Order: sequence, then structure tokens, then C-alpha cells
Amino acid sequence: MSSNSPVVLSIEGLSKTFTGQKALRSVDFQVHAGEIRALVGPNGSGKSTLVKILAGYHQPDEGAVATVDGQPFELGHADAAFAAGLRFVHQDLGLVPALGAMDNLALGRGYIRGRSGTISWRRERETGEELLASLGYDFDFRAPVSSLAASERTGIAIARALEGWRGHAKILVLDEPTASLPAAEVNRLFEVVRTVRDNGVAVIYVSHHFNEVFDISDTVTVLRDGAHVATLPTADVDEPRLVELTIGRKLAEPRDAQSATAIADAGTALLQLIGVGGRVVQHLDVEVGPGEIVGVAGVTGSGREEICGLVFGDHQRSGEVLIEGRSVPPERPDLSLRLGMAYVPPERAAKAALLDQTVRQNTTISWLKPFYGPRGLRRADERAETNIWLDRLEVVPRDSEALFQTLSGGNQQKIVLARALRIKPRVLVLDEPTQGVDVGAKAAIHDILRNAAAEGAGVLVASAESEELVQLCDRIIVMNQGRAGRECLAAEVSADELTEYTLRTLAADPA
Amino acid sequence: MSTQNSKEETMTASPVREPAPPPTGLASSGSSLRSKLPGLNSISLLLIWAAVIVLFGITQTSTFLTTETLKTLAADQAITAIMALALLLPLAAGAYDLSIGGVMGLAVVLVAYFQSHYHLGFVFAILLTLCAGLGIGAINAFVIVRLRVDSFIATLGMSSVLLAAVEWINGGQEIVTGISTKFTNLGSDQLLGFQLPFYYMLVIGGILWYVLEYRQAGRYMYAIGSNPDAARLAGVRTGRLTVTALLGSAFIASLAGVIFTAEIGSATNQAGPPYLLPAFAAAFLGATQFRAKVVNVPGTLIAVYALATGIKGLQLSGAAFWVNDLFNGLALIIAVAFAVRASRKRA
Repeated sequence: MSSNSPVVLSIEGLSKTFTGQKALRSVDFQVHAGEIRALVGPNGSGKSTLVKILAGYHQPDEGAVATVDGQPFELGHADAAFAAGLRFVHQDLGLVPALGAMDNLALGRGYIRGRSGTISWRRERETGEELLASLGYDFDFRAPVSSLAASERTGIAIARALEGWRGHAKILVLDEPTASLPAAEVNRLFEVVRTVRDNGVAVIYVSHHFNEVFDISDTVTVLRDGAHVATLPTADVDEPRLVELTIGRKLAEPRDAQSATAIADAGTALLQLIGVGGRVVQHLDVEVGPGEIVGVAGVTGSGREEICGLVFGDHQRSGEVLIEGRSVPPERPDLSLRLGMAYVPPERAAKAALLDQTVRQNTTISWLKPFYGPRGLRRADERAETNIWLDRLEVVPRDSEALFQTLSGGNQQKIVLARALRIKPRVLVLDEPTQGVDVGAKAAIHDILRNAAAEGAGVLVASAESEELVQLCDRIIVMNQGRAGRECLAAEVSADELTEYTLRTLAADPA
Repeated sequence: MSTQNSKEETMTASPVREPAPPPTGLASSGSSLRSKLPGLNSISLLLIWAAVIVLFGITQTSTFLTTETLKTLAADQAITAIMALALLLPLAAGAYDLSIGGVMGLAVVLVAYFQSHYHLGFVFAILLTLCAGLGIGAINAFVIVRLRVDSFIATLGMSSVLLAAVEWINGGQEIVTGISTKFTNLGSDQLLGFQLPFYYMLVIGGILWYVLEYRQAGRYMYAIGSNPDAARLAGVRTGRLTVTALLGSAFIASLAGVIFTAEIGSATNQAGPPYLLPAFAAAFLGATQFRAKVVNVPGTLIAVYALATGIKGLQLSGAAFWVNDLFNGLALIIAVAFAVRASRKRA
């Protein structure tokens, strides 16, 4: 269908080099009006770079030619991109955390003002509320964005990009828009995206999630190692083929139903939650045995995204958390670590990354004691151990002195994981452990977690992705309005069923 | 093939990122080779320093290129250097301490006052003065960590309080009598031709360098400066380390005050605050050197002496006394401008 419609964006020979590393190799890329183009590829494949060049954050190497609607278009300039009708929703959304939804919407286009220049707050609010309501969102418009759920923040960013798209926007670029959205809201987002498409706007949809690619896209472009691999109508490929194209090899089979019952019987609980409560979570009792991987599912707002932080001590909590019977004091991450609990926080950039420090400093920060010699910290030892982790987790580049911020998302996440695994944890608590990570890295991270469990650690994983939980866990707890709802053995449910449970328990009114 | 290869990819590039805490620098490369070797950026200050020496060496040969100039420079700048070093701990941990000028001023008066007014032995006077300095640091820490007042505001307020305290202690009078000569010898004696304060500065710098580079506390402070939330979740006790940093800056600033009084032999009530700006200028200028993006000891010391050499040369060339202030102010603005430009480029 789309091949008949006019080409709206055309790029030829786009290359990009970062300090000697080729991020993009002479990529040709064409998008037609009124199509949804999925852009897939592993981390480091150049997707983000391509998007950032379109948005004007990065300058391309010389030699690239681009046109929008047949008019020459200068890549690497934010103003030119906006004028040409490109709109973006970036992975990190670009919102001002301290301001409310209304201000964040207004910042993009300027406040609505009356004749004298005074801001008309009433009209501002009405416009914004209408816009968000049209996306199906309903939350406190004035609350600082930082206090909202991730899905609500995504909504604001999308609303801001879409605002006034009629007539102006020709191309909407969505970079991992569902990174932390629960299934129900993904569908809502898809409806919005389709509406945009049906109005003649081309949508470039960057995603790691192949089910989304098949659900929403008309055509799909695969990038690998900075090069264009293929562009195909989505209807002409199936998932195994797409996986092959993306990673250049076949994926391992998801693990079979392991003897979950045997694990459940084994020994006393390593990690015990007794009546744990937080902002949403209430009176939660959970036990995780040695060698067991327990998943936490639930839609956003169910308490799923709160549990890990409560257990580790990121937020204030009530109730008791025990590791091998020993009490973990609340809000003391340092003591949690000392008791053998490691934590992989959600929102890597905000809660885990030391962006301007080296990979080595990021890896070793949680446990520096083994490097102490008579003259203080021994760098050489630190470097050696970091390199072992870089090898074990297949981090690219294998360079302990590279700055953390120069790594791709998947590799950054592996470093955060290395930081946690390094302390030889008895209990691993992970919130969205594969956030913004490609299929290959995701499988690698799952393997790492299974190995940790096989060696006797107890693992607690919260994830918005049903598929991930079903593949990874032994047992899954479905959160519902702050309480533990249904509990199921991963071997006995499919991802779709699990998604259904998270939604159904929500619908089932306790009253 | 590319003209852009000094830039690098960041996964978090975004136009509305919160500005990072102040100490950012010029070094821009993420590649291992460049970060191990000092790149052009990270030795530029040394080059500038060398150029300044050559320039004034040619124009002012008879007065500038003398051991006398070297010795005065080394001793004169010891106090400035110690004050700049005092800033490094809080700046590494992402906090400002604007009160170091006031703390130094207080120490200058106290150490003399204890001797002349209470006739205390100088050792005891020094110890009491350092304790007073730590006390100020503890108050700063309490206000910043417990009451969660922004460090910039808290220490700005504290420096005004300290101005008042200095005036109150001796009624605004200079203290010239009753100061032990043993004490003043500690500030004026020479070793190998250099005044003792120069060596004190080297010792303080050495200890600080070791702590920042080779101790867990230093690593933790840099982590807090990089991302306080991430540091906390990685097991760093951020509050406790911020307290340590603020105690450290107050302690070093009061040492600077004690050394100042010993060197001058009397105590004025105007001593501390003029050092605040040169200290910041040197710390920020130093952050552009050696260690990418963060304040560090060698960079700071080189910045102090490069600035002082330039000022000295200008003065010997007949420039007015105010070039001092002019030079330091410009250096502060230029250093931070470079740092901001570099971090923008990076994004």
C-alpha cells in the first residue's frame, strides 16, 4: 500500500563516525507518506544514532543527501528538522521533571496568551486536558511530571509531539515509546499512532519488541552494525525471520518448564517480605527461595513498579524484609548490600548511571574493599576484575576506561548488572532488568540471571513485559491495586494469559 | 574522513537535561587511548603557563626570571592554593562551600585572639582554632544534609554570619601583639629557600590527592557528584560523605587561616573572603585539566600557579594592582565557559 504513496523522507549515503567508530555506514532510507515504518536492530546497530541525526543532535558525516517531500533537507539541524515537519518522542522523553503536564506541553509551542501577552491559564489547561483526554489519559494536570507514572510521562511526551500535527507534522518519530508501558496502554498508544498514520503522516517507530512491530507497522527496516540490512513489508516476514535478520543468528529456545515445584519445596526462604507496604503496595507477603526466580507482574499503578524499590530500601516502607531471617532496615541501601541483596534499579540514567565516569568506576563502586592494598585502591586489580566482567557479559567495547555514557543502552545495562552481580548477592532484586535492551542482550541477561539462580541466589524480578516474566521466572505474582493477586507457575501460563491476568484482576472489582 | 570525531555518542543526549554540578571540563574523548594519555585539552594549561613564562621572561628578563620571583610566587600563592584545595572535597561531591573565605577569616582572628587575649600556648590556640573550623563545617553539614538547604544558599549565608563573627570577636581591631614568635616562625621560616607555607600546601595537596584518587571516600565523593541517586543505590552513604566533605573543606580553610596568621605575624579582620574567588577560579580551571570533567588536585595546583605567574608578570610590567582581581575573575568565567562548551559538544 505504502509504495504507491509519495516518498516523504529520503536519505542516501548517511554515515556517522564517533571517535573512529562507525555508528552508521552509508545508510539509504526512504519513508512513504501514511505508513508506519518499524525500525529495528540490536543495541549499537545505529537506530538511536539515525534518530538523533534526524532530530539534529548529531551531525552526519559528509556526503549524506536527504530530502523531505522532494525538498533538500539539511541533516543535523534541529530547527531544519522541525521546519521540515519532523516530530520526535525520544526514549528519555525530554520533559522537565519539576513542571506539570500543562507546562511541559506549553514549553514546546509557547504558552497560549491573551491580547496583552498574559498567559491564559484557563485556555492552556483546557487545551492540554483535551489533548491528553484524546489519548485516554486522566491524571493531575498540575502535579510535577516527576511524580507521575512512567506511562503517564510517555503520554505527555507523545501529546506534545502530536500537538498541532494536522497540517504541520509530516513525520513522527517514536523512539522506544513503549519502553515502560503496560500492555493495556500499549494498545491505546497504537490506536493513536494509527490515527496519525491515517491522516497521511509517516511514522517511524523504533522498537525492540517484535510483537509490537508486527502489531503496528506496515513496513520494517532492519539495521545491524550501522548498516541497512533490509526493508520489507511487515506482512512478508514472520518473527523467526525478523529475529534472524536482526541479530544475524538464531535465538536459543526459551527454557522448558523446569521443575518449579521442586524449587518451591527447597529449603527455607532466602528473601521474605512480611506485610510490606509503600505508597501503593499494601501488606505484601512474598517468599523467595534459594535458586528461585520470582516474577512480579502487573499494570502500571498496580504496585509492580514499586516493590523492588521497597524491598531494597530505595523508598520508605512499612513491614519487614528479611534475608535468611535477618531483618533488612528500610531506606538503607548500603546495609541491604551488606546483607547480600543487590539491586538493579529501573530508569538506568536516573538511578544507576554514573554517566561521566568510567566503566570501571561504574562496575566497582558497590564493593571497593577487595582492591585495597597498603597504598589504597589498586587500579590494576580493579581494571582486571572489570575486564573479567566485560568478557563474561560480552560488553562492547571491552574497555574498562571508556566513559559509561559512550556505551549503548544494552551495554550500559550489562554494566549495571555486573555491579550487582559483583557483590556475589544472596538475593537479586531487579526492576525492568532488560529496559531498552535488544533481543541478543536480553537473552544474555536472562542467561546471567538463570545462572545466578542456579548458583543458589534468590531472584525477584519486576517487569512490565509478560513475555519476559514467563520466559525467565519459576513463579509469577500478579499485582493488583497494591496487593498480590493471582500467583502462577511460569511453566503453566503463556505470556498472553499473564497479560490477561494483569488486566483481568484489574477489572475484577473486589467489591 | 569525519570532522566530527571528537564528539561521541551519549545515550542520554537530550536538550532539557538538568545542568550537571559545576565541575565540568574540556577533555572530551571517551576512547581509551585518549582518556589514558593527556590529550591536547588536558595539558593546555601547562602550555599556556609555559607561554606566559617565556613571554615575561623575554619582556621582563631582569625582574621576572629570578629565583626571587620564583620564591615569592611559591610562598605568596601557598594560601590561595590551600584554599582552592579546600574546595575540592565538596565540589567533588557536588556541593558548594562558599563559606571557606569566612572560615579562613575566622581562623586568622581566632588563632591570634586565643594567644593575645587568653595567653594560650600556640599549639593549644591552633588546636582550638581548627576545632572551631570543624564546628562551622559541622553546622554547614547539618543545614545542608539534615535540613536539606541547598549548599550554595547555606554556605553563602554562613559566610555572612562568619563576617559578623570576625568583627565581633575583636571589635574590628587588628591583633598585632601577644602572638608567639614560635608560632610566627612556623609561617616565616624557610627550608631550601622556600617559606614553610609552601611545604604545608604540598603536604595538604598530597594527602587530598591520595584521598580523592586512592581511597574509597574519594571514589564515593566523585560518585555523588556524578549522580547522587545512583551513588546512594550503589551503597554510598551520601549524607555521611557530604558531611565529611564539608568538614574537610572547613578544616582545610581554617588551616589556611592559621598559616596565614603565622606568615603575616598579625591578624586582620579582612583576611579570608578575598581568597574565595581565586580559589573557585583555580578549582574550576583545574577541572578542565588531567581528569576529564572533574575537580582534581594536580589541575588545581597548576591553575593556581599559572594564574599567579600571569598576574606577577603583568605587575612586574607595570600593570595596576587591580589586575589581580581582573585576572582571577576572567579566569573563573572563561574556565566555566570552556567546561560548559565542552559538555555541550559532548551531548
